[in-house]
Amino acid sequence: MASELTTEAVLAAAAETPDTLLTTSSQARVLMVGAGGIGCELLKNLVLTGFGQVHVVDLDTIDLSNLNRQFLFRHEHIKKSKALVAKEAAQKFNPAAKIVAHHANIKDAQFNIEWFSSFSIVFNALDNLEARRHVNKMCIAADVPLIESGTTGFNGQVQVIKKGVTACYDCSPKDTPKSFPVCTIRSTPSQPIHCIVWGKSYLLNEIFGASEDESAFDNSVDGDNAQEIEELKRESEALRKIRNSVGTEEFPEMLFEKVFKTDVERLRSMEDMWKTRKPPEPLSYKDLFEKAKSQSLDQEKVLKDAQKVWSLEENLVVFNDSLERLSKRVLESKTAGEDAIITFDKDDEDTLDFVAASANIRSAVFGIDRKSKFDIKQMAGNIIPAIATTNAIVAGLCVLEAFKVLKGQYDRAKEVFLTPFANARMLASDKSRQPNPDCPVCGVYQTRAYVDLDKATLNDLVEHLIKTNLGYGEKDFAISNEVGILYDPDETDNLEKKLSELGIKPDSFLTITDEDDEEPFVNVVIAIQEAKEPLGDKPVKGILDPEDVKIPLKPKKQSQPEPVATPAPTNGNSTSNGQNGGVIDLDGDEPTTTPAKPSLKRGHPEDAEGPSVKKIKANDKAADDDIVFIEDSAGAIVIDDD
Amino acid sequence: MTEIVMDQTPPILQGPSEKERKYDRQLRLWAASGQAALESANILLVNSGAGTVGVETLKNLILPGIGRFVIHDNALVDEADFGVNFFLDDSCYGKPRAQCLASLLGELNPEVEGDWSPKTKDDSLGSLLKKSPLFTAIMYTYPINHVELESLEQYSKEHKTPLIAIHSTGFYSYFTVRLPGTFPIVDTHPDETATTDLRLLSPWPELVEFAKSMTKDIDGLDNFEHGHLPFVVILLYYLDQWKATHNGAYPSKYKEKTEFRQLVRDAARTDNPEGGEENFDEAAAAVLKTVTPSSLPSGLKEVFEFEHEDPIQERPMFWIIADAVKMFYTEHGSLPLPGNVPDMKAQSKVYVQLQNIYKTKARKDAAEVLQTAQAIAGAGREVDPAEVDLFCKNAAFVKLINVEGGGDTAPIGSKERLQQVLRTEMANDQMAEMTLQPMSLFPVYLALRGLANCGNASADKMQIVEAAKSLLSDDLSNEEYGDLNEKLGNVAEDLARAEYGELHNISALTGGMVAQEIIKIITKQYIPIDNTCVFDGIKSRTQVFRV
Repeated sequence: MASELTTEAVLAAAAETPDTLLTTSSQARVLMVGAGGIGCELLKNLVLTGFGQVHVVDLDTIDLSNLNRQFLFRHEHIKKSKALVAKEAAQKFNPAAKIVAHHANIKDAQFNIEWFSSFSIVFNALDNLEARRHVNKMCIAADVPLIESGTTGFNGQVQVIKKGVTACYDCSPKDTPKSFPVCTIRSTPSQPIHCIVWGKSYLLNEIFGASEDESAFDNSVDGDNAQEIEELKRESEALRKIRNSVGTEEFPEMLFEKVFKTDVERLRSMEDMWKTRKPPEPLSYKDLFEKAKSQSLDQEKVLKDAQKVWSLEENLVVFNDSLERLSKRVLESKTAGEDAIITFDKDDEDTLDFVAASANIRSAVFGIDRKSKFDIKQMAGNIIPAIATTNAIVAGLCVLEAFKVLKGQYDRAKEVFLTPFANARMLASDKSRQPNPDCPVCGVYQTRAYVDLDKATLNDLVEHLIKTNLGYGEKDFAISNEVGILYDPDETDNLEKKLSELGIKPDSFLTITDEDDEEPFVNVVIAIQEAKEPLGDKPVKGILDPEDVKIPLKPKKQSQPEPVATPAPTNGNSTSNGQNGGVIDLDGDEPTTTPAKPSLKRGHPEDAEGPSVKKIKANDKAADDDIVFIEDSAGAIVIDDD
Repeated sequence: MTEIVMDQTPPILQGPSEKERKYDRQLRLWAASGQAALESANILLVNSGAGTVGVETLKNLILPGIGRFVIHDNALVDEADFGVNFFLDDSCYGKPRAQCLASLLGELNPEVEGDWSPKTKDDSLGSLLKKSPLFTAIMYTYPINHVELESLEQYSKEHKTPLIAIHSTGFYSYFTVRLPGTFPIVDTHPDETATTDLRLLSPWPELVEFAKSMTKDIDGLDNFEHGHLPFVVILLYYLDQWKATHNGAYPSKYKEKTEFRQLVRDAARTDNPEGGEENFDEAAAAVLKTVTPSSLPSGLKEVFEFEHEDPIQERPMFWIIADAVKMFYTEHGSLPLPGNVPDMKAQSKVYVQLQNIYKTKARKDAAEVLQTAQAIAGAGREVDPAEVDLFCKNAAFVKLINVEGGGDTAPIGSKERLQQVLRTEMANDQMAEMTLQPMSLFPVYLALRGLANCGNASADKMQIVEAAKSLLSDDLSNEEYGDLNEKLGNVAEDLARAEYGELHNISALTGGMVAQEIIKIITKQYIPIDNTCVFDGIKSRTQVFRV
């Protein structure tokens, strides 16, 4: 029998520079964001590879549909915190490892830049774009290496992100996700799309997609899950009653009361869930119905305007009307002896109306923006398939990349893709991509400033930090945050206001855009930090001495931006612009020339960068269609949404 | 035409059961049929050495819900296990490893039945194989002993059981899948957009009639009707127009197709408020892809031309249906119609009618194939209509795996085969710098096999290199394989230091890959690796060889 070695010994034997790696991995303090599919595997691998201290952050609770792959969780853990249960389970694999679990949202204020910068590596094991972007931004700001990973069905990928060395998550534009985890859909929606998916994949399906079957709940009742099974049984019975009432006069009210009142009240009673979220508000059918009646709304008229965002009352009218239409169809099929099943089809107006109205009413319950039927039609999407095997492969790859990061071998870091449908291989790896110089997140100069938030005004920031410390001097520049422009040479009203009055908080980001035509600085992003000790006579202080501040110039010569709003963004083609040099660029004068290269629209985030700031100013506020803002308390990233 | 035909598979009639909700995310990949196959699978793991990679593989099969597993492992748990095997802890010390693992793995999914061996001194792998219900697949990990390996190979041959070898040492691993003979896959899950087959160049009478009835007064249609003609109807109409002015020929060359596309584009109305018509845009966009005569895809050609030794009645049902499809193709010059219609701008009622026309034709074709297949099979064998339907739907994407190559390829598993692969790989390596391709991982595979053949964990670098070379030939000339010695030596050096130790992370990753392939084989869905995959954890790379 072979003499078997411990992980550490084999690592030492096989790694190329064993000593440093061993020391660094056991001393490394790493952060894992997400304890789901990839997270469970990754946590096990990290702990068994000898990583000394692992922090785990996840705000989700465990769902039945997680158990086919998230092997740290069992049936009895359903509804419990993923982070806490994962820690408990993984701790047994290596009692020496220090695992710290946070059942919280990674976007919470407690996880600030300073906290991020206390880690050697951050692992993203997330399932949504928004959180990925947030962690990416924080890691760039804190200059901590990030290992980003994701899976969809058999597909997966791993990417190493290091500020200034490799491309960051936002260096290439991302498609808006079309799918969402079920816990977000069922319990904790935060965006309109969550409610749309709920209406389409859950509510419509439960009521019209399939009929109930008692045998479904016959199996596997034991001591631990009895209560849960009982709960599910009750829910399904309540639903069955409603199903059987399809076509009756009470039907709309019964359904409404069940999903927008009873279920919401139950959800609301789980207090832990609403510590960092706004709790949902149950609705009363009768109240809403009376209001709608008093407005004598006509469904024909309401339905005609698919572009308009319906009021809550209007949504109720559509809800009732679409239910009536769907119920009629069900009754007709039943009479004809056919299966009374209706599935969502975006071109089937009855189902679309029902989904649109249900989604909007649910949005109202959760305090989320409602959407027009027109928008909802586009947004209705699918759920991501997920399996254990892909997660195991991707988590393993993450750890392999982490070795290189710990050794500082970014030149050897790879971007690895699973290629399940290529015949000759299962993995394909590529050299890490270079940072995109025009990336709105990492293509900017990052700095921090300590601020006395009670005292400091915007003028203090302009005079004591930007003009002097950062060296803008007499340059023309603009300051913006996630809401829009706070200051520019023509917009000086805010100067005397305190930063706190402008909604600036610790870990807020401010973007400084150089408006000079000649040799402009790249955009500068300032992370605002609360001063821990008195700052003396000036309530604002940069973290660097002026002589250490080295803001690079914009990499390419931009065309001379006209001080008027141009309807089309500047042409983003780097070669043509770069080579144009001093030659006159026609963009500003002849916007009609820009649509000649429509294919560039997606590939160049700078299309949104410089010019979009212009647009906010010119168009007054963020009503512009071409840009969206990441709406979180700390974010100031402007991204292209075309 | 009143019957409404369900698109794709009809939805399940009862509400989702607890099990369906638990497996929801994977059912989206392999559907109920794949799940049923998994749930009836009985898997044997013969575990040895550090044992991590086998356990990780099994874990990834238990989670998605195989029916039953058995672990055969002669080892008792000792301290070395704790470092690499996430399950085992102090309380397992000194106990049979198979017992501890079976019990702990079983906890991952209460729906899976687990067993272990040997339970007594008299139990052996041989006796386990004799008394167990038939295994669906068997995997073993190195360093397995010769006696056990031989009994597995014997069993595999006798029962046509897939046999999967897994070897993970240090930063390297590989696995080999040995399938019992040619392995056909019908449900290959091609990209959905690739499966569209509209038969625009060989429309059948019902489709022609439908298109004509909608377009007989195309210029007299109001803007709504004109803007809602399905693109299929638009293309059929303008293909007729084209034929009338081109001696009855369809556009075939690229230039003709682009001209035809322009013809369609120009036919869109632009005097409406939108200034164009979406359905005509769809039609123009579909020209290059759909205005193409159907041809026999290479995968199916291989099936049609496969040379059998056994008489047709004795072959598995796949081959009987394949033969029926072949007869269909010979007679009609085209494959059975898959019958799906892509989403398109159209009035709902019209779209449903169009769907019905395609579905009806697909059903008719499938019925004909079923009848032929039944005739071939003879009275004693029942042909499952669902199997015929699936074959007809996927006919263009059917694939054969593990085909013994004709002509000049050496038999799978032979020395000659290894030599052939090595020659190709070494030749590629010489070009590697020029073509910017990474170096071959074949030396990794050879060195790992060499290590296994040493039968000795303390084998040194030279012993491993020599053992690897003896796999290829008893008398290998150095000139023939260039710097093979050096390449083997580099890997062997790492392996010698690892002393058969497994790295948890490498084994976990490998276990993910192996389980993925086993799932493909059990479900007979997606295309499995054919037949060996080598992983290099230093370079984060894999390479697939057929050896």
